[in-house]
Amino acid sequence: MTLESLLLAEKGKSLTNFFSLSYMIVVLPFVVFVYGILPKKWKRYFLLLASFGFVWLVSGGMLIYLMLTIFSVHYFGIWLDRLQTELKGKAGGLPKEERKELKALYQKRKRGVVTLAAVLHIGGLLVLKYSGFFTVNVNALLSKLGVDITLTIPKYVLPIGISFFTLQAISYIVDVYHGLIKADDNVVRLGLFISFFPQIVEGPICRYSQTAEQLWNVQPIRYKNLSFGAQRILYGTMKKYIIADRLNLYVKNVFDMKLDYNGGAVAFAAICYTVQLYMDFSGSMDAVCGTAEIFGITMPENFKRPFFSRTISEFWTRWHITLGTWFRDYVLYPVTSSKRMKKITSSARKKIGNHYGPLVAGSIALFCVWSCNGLWHGSAWSYIFFGMYHFVLILSGNLIGPIVQKVNTKLHINPNSVVYRGLQIFRTIILVIIGELFFRAKGLKAGLKLFKKMITDFALPTIQDMGIDGYDIVLVILTLGIILFVSIMNEKGISVREVLAKKPAALRWAILYALILFIVIFGAYGYGYKPVAPMYAKF
Amino acid sequence: MERLIEILEDIQPDVDYANCQDLVDGHYLKSLDIISLIAELEDEYDITIPAIEIIPDNFNSAERMMKMIQRLQEEV
Repeated sequence: MTLESLLLAEKGKSLTNFFSLSYMIVVLPFVVFVYGILPKKWKRYFLLLASFGFVWLVSGGMLIYLMLTIFSVHYFGIWLDRLQTELKGKAGGLPKEERKELKALYQKRKRGVVTLAAVLHIGGLLVLKYSGFFTVNVNALLSKLGVDITLTIPKYVLPIGISFFTLQAISYIVDVYHGLIKADDNVVRLGLFISFFPQIVEGPICRYSQTAEQLWNVQPIRYKNLSFGAQRILYGTMKKYIIADRLNLYVKNVFDMKLDYNGGAVAFAAICYTVQLYMDFSGSMDAVCGTAEIFGITMPENFKRPFFSRTISEFWTRWHITLGTWFRDYVLYPVTSSKRMKKITSSARKKIGNHYGPLVAGSIALFCVWSCNGLWHGSAWSYIFFGMYHFVLILSGNLIGPIVQKVNTKLHINPNSVVYRGLQIFRTIILVIIGELFFRAKGLKAGLKLFKKMITDFALPTIQDMGIDGYDIVLVILTLGIILFVSIMNEKGISVREVLAKKPAALRWAILYALILFIVIFGAYGYGYKPVAPMYAKF
Repeated sequence: MERLIEILEDIQPDVDYANCQDLVDGHYLKSLDIISLIAELEDEYDITIPAIEIIPDNFNSAERMMKMIQRLQEEV
């Protein structure tokens, strides 16, 4: 058996799963060991090589897309930097008015460069990801119009992580354009920032200012980093194997609509899917951040206990945070601060007041953000619907905000009371679960059908109805209890890991062994379970 | 500074703009207020506030806002 065939077991995708044995027992320990023994000056080059090797093992020749992205943004960055240096050289000593004119001229040139870069990179992503969806819809439209032309539907294989590393590359170029960072003339440093292997499959989407220098200034493997990193990976493994993969079987059965499930079973499946998605994605992020921590690198967090949110707006500042902040900084702010939008805001504010005035431009920008967010997740109408669903919820929240405030004041309701906050959290969770129902359904039609079923044919499901084992439910609830406890501690600002680190060694090791045993004994793998690919890797 | 505080009071009254140091972090100014504020500041001070300047640090106090305005007025 060759090394490649061992690593690429499970149909060649096992490496994209950070909880697969091939990753946890072969790849990660190998990379950590070699990194640990190499002299400092070689560590960074080894990390880049390991990242390229990882992408090559997962997706073979498609590594070329990643390399092209790195070389391309490296070039564009230097181009922008050169224009900036040229401007500074020419502007020195000129009167203010002439300086202004020169600056406007160079601004135009720089905008041209950044637009070209964005068109190339986003264009590439659009072609690979959406041309099939676009052609199917054009064909449907042509046939409705009675035109006898059928376009061939192109089929492309998406390079692993392209949706993530493209956003990272764009953020680098735009930040250079705005002068937030200096263009990196070192292609190895830039390459490592874009391709660092733990983040390539599912993010987080890092900014150059967050991780590039950390990755370049390599650290030795330290005991605390190694133990904290390993703990976090184990915690993620527990989320994935004991909860997410255990719920998968039931969720899949209901959403595949193999049997005629009643509305209660559908509602329960929607809850289970929401839990599964959260445990799968946040568990993967624990593995990613834990891996980075072993190398002494702090990654931006992607989750901040989203199910404690009081509103949908707040939910999106706590769920997939790095995607949300990307859309905020590179779509929302540029749209709201464009000249036309500012004019709209000024005149609308005079006509309809301080709250609703800016909401006009804000809504247009939010619409752009949520269209992009929906489409980013995939080329299907159900994803566009998902985006629009959240857009409408956020917009409604803004529209009725002042009315709710007035009613609360009139009725002497304290919006910060425990009951009020609890009800807000409950409402947010229900709205999120409904959104996830459409997100998971196989197409928009199926989503609407399931939703209708949930509303019109509701009956409390029995365990037999759901085809789920009582033992599974007890295990899931028990593990969720542990996660809820850790989350409440974190919400209060208490780091459970730091508290544990101060306890006697015997207790620490006992907890660690208990966690390992818990995963080994109760994990959903082996006979009867299929390994589930990380859910966000497909986006 | 007086004119800046007038603009702020017009957008969101009942805040002690002369002393408050956490206008954004303390949620005194919401995102919609910031959208209005940017449009008003650009008109009043003949500046362009690019998207990258929209960070809490620039809007947390009237003093910080004034510093940003002066910096943008003086830029090349």
